[in-house]
Amino acid sequence: MKASDICAVVFVALSSVASPGWAQVPGPNNAITDVPGIKVGHFTGNPLTGTTVVIAEKGGQGVAGGVSQRGGAPGTRETDLLRPENLVQIVNAITLSGGSAYGLAAASGVMQCLEGQGVGFPVGGGNVVPIVPTAILFDPGRCGAPFNYRPNFSFGLAACSAARSGPVQEGNVGAGAGAVSGGVKGGLGTASVVLDKGVIVGAIVAVNSVGATFDANGNLYAAPLELAGEFANLIPIEGGPPPHMSKPAAVPGGLLRNTTIAVVATNVELTKTQATKIAQMADDGLARAIKPTHTPYDGDTVFAVGTGRISMATLGDPAFAEYVIGSAAADVLSRAVVHAILSAESTPCEKSYCDLFPNACRNRKKGAQK
Amino acid sequence: MSRDRRSSSYACAAAVFTLFSVSASWAQTPGPLNAITDVPGIEVGQYTSTDATSGGGTGTTVVVSRAGAVGGVSQRGGAPGTRETDLLRPENLVEKVNAVVLSGGSAYGLAAADGVMLCLEAQGIGFPVGPNQVVPIVPSAILFDPGRCAPFSRRPDASFGLAACNAASGGPVQQGNVGAGAGARSGGSKGGLGTASTVLSNGIIVGAIVAVNSSGRTFDTEGNFYAGFLELGNEFPLAPPTGADVVPPSNLLQNTTIAVVATSARLTKAQATKVAQMADDGLARAIKPSHGVGDGDTIFVMATGTDTRDATNLVNGIGSAAADTLSRAVVHAILAAQSIHVDSCNVKSYCEQFPQKCAK
Repeated sequence: MKASDICAVVFVALSSVASPGWAQVPGPNNAITDVPGIKVGHFTGNPLTGTTVVIAEKGGQGVAGGVSQRGGAPGTRETDLLRPENLVQIVNAITLSGGSAYGLAAASGVMQCLEGQGVGFPVGGGNVVPIVPTAILFDPGRCGAPFNYRPNFSFGLAACSAARSGPVQEGNVGAGAGAVSGGVKGGLGTASVVLDKGVIVGAIVAVNSVGATFDANGNLYAAPLELAGEFANLIPIEGGPPPHMSKPAAVPGGLLRNTTIAVVATNVELTKTQATKIAQMADDGLARAIKPTHTPYDGDTVFAVGTGRISMATLGDPAFAEYVIGSAAADVLSRAVVHAILSAESTPCEKSYCDLFPNACRNRKKGAQK
Repeated sequence: MSRDRRSSSYACAAAVFTLFSVSASWAQTPGPLNAITDVPGIEVGQYTSTDATSGGGTGTTVVVSRAGAVGGVSQRGGAPGTRETDLLRPENLVEKVNAVVLSGGSAYGLAAADGVMLCLEAQGIGFPVGPNQVVPIVPSAILFDPGRCAPFSRRPDASFGLAACNAASGGPVQQGNVGAGAGARSGGSKGGLGTASTVLSNGIIVGAIVAVNSSGRTFDTEGNFYAGFLELGNEFPLAPPTGADVVPPSNLLQNTTIAVVATSARLTKAQATKVAQMADDGLARAIKPSHGVGDGDTIFVMATGTDTRDATNLVNGIGSAAADTLSRAVVHAILAAQSIHVDSCNVKSYCEQFPQKCAK
């Protein structure tokens, strides 16, 4: 057994100890949409940038949400209302978008889309105000694209209109379309896990990090968290990285050029306070998959929602259930990061991980469906 | 504080004012415009949309610092609608804001900031991210006014922000039923937009602008402004109390008071945050209750830094003045607000309810 395999076994064993009695298998689509009540829509621009919308509902109403905002250069909307002491108890959708702060405009299109469906916080007279927290990442002007080409109102409208359950496209799509990550092409990834008692946890992430997702040899930090062969038998790299990857990727001179943004969802009914705690624990999944993370140049932001299909009361001690869900959310988010990197495709400006380390990915069929 | 036309009920207020004066130990006078634009480098632009048939209005107010101002925020109301408040936390990278947008329209009105960003980008104003590439830093907060005497779908969008930003200038600032205060209401009376400024004896200038759309009232049951005792010069008309004509609040869960405080001092982000927190007490003194469940009360600070002295030992005085200036801006908003009486749309201004007080 190779040293890296031993490490993987130890890691998995520790995970199992942390979640006694809770088996973990991916959901049918291994996507955040495995969580009932979650729909995802992308709109991808050309040149590469885009918007991803996660819609969350129970009985046509919004669901409880929380946020962890720990990156140093955030661009956000409606995170204040998510604080547990504040009035609005629901979110209807979360927007992840490229475009730096300009991309916050996408949320206005999502609001119009949802209002057209009568979805939102009711304010009387049959009127609603959709609650759409949002975070952006920096991608404008990459790879020769015009700096003023970036997600706007129409991107959000289109992404929201395209939202559906079922499989979720990954890689160079939606908010991950223009993403880069620690010297390779970044992208959009998703994953899910089914725990005991019917608990499902899913994650979706747009990886656009200063830090890399792999070590000095090119091995992905979060590879040991693989469930059911989902990474297609990544092969540990023995020979080390290409010469130009042997030191950390230089931070571009302009700074503020990164940010990883994510949503985790569970089918368990959460309060805002619980959703906040789940978001905080999920954020550790970024720390395990990307190094460094939450830097001054990353606006890393993780949202959490609970779609309320399962009552917390059916899960025994609520604090322990929260602990298990939060642990699972972190692992699912780490796995979603790996999916994003493995699904990303090379552009004329950035090589994908699998093109940079073809040996690691050689068991993985190009374009394989999960 | 000795004007004899005031009733004895002001004795207490006068005593409180004296205490304030002693603690601050700084003479305070309003700036020449008694407006936030008295702070050098601060410009204000407003766009107001009024429904001709119903009389209902809404709008957007933008406070611009073309050179950038160190930002902070205090977000204590229970139903906020905000953009870019996370980046204002002291530990985060970006230090300067280029503009702050206050807007009607509930969360829909956050779109106004999109227009402000495009307006500033076209002028090359923003956080530099590359050659000729900027990202304007534009924190924003909204208040709830849609559907008041106008269709619910009438609310600020990107075009409002663009127009308000293009109209930004120094000089006098229009108050009352304008900009973000156009559709505002306050404790059952017409709310509005107000501004004020203070020049401290050490030369530092503090200004405030506020859109008052509060569930709580700004005056007691006799019509006395809670913040009346903070008057500087003769900026408020303060006649003796009269009979009550207090309109009951309409909807306690659909409000929000939003404000910007600007100062010429050179503050760090952490200091600007502290000033925002202290300024927020100015709302508490002028509006009762404030920071309620249905109020998304949010106060931004913009420190332009044209006064370059180290502010470490000045933060307390600046914060105290910011609170008082904000309280006075609230009174100006209520005094400048105008009644609306168009068909079934009726909301009385303070001055219609207490005409004797506004006779001045």
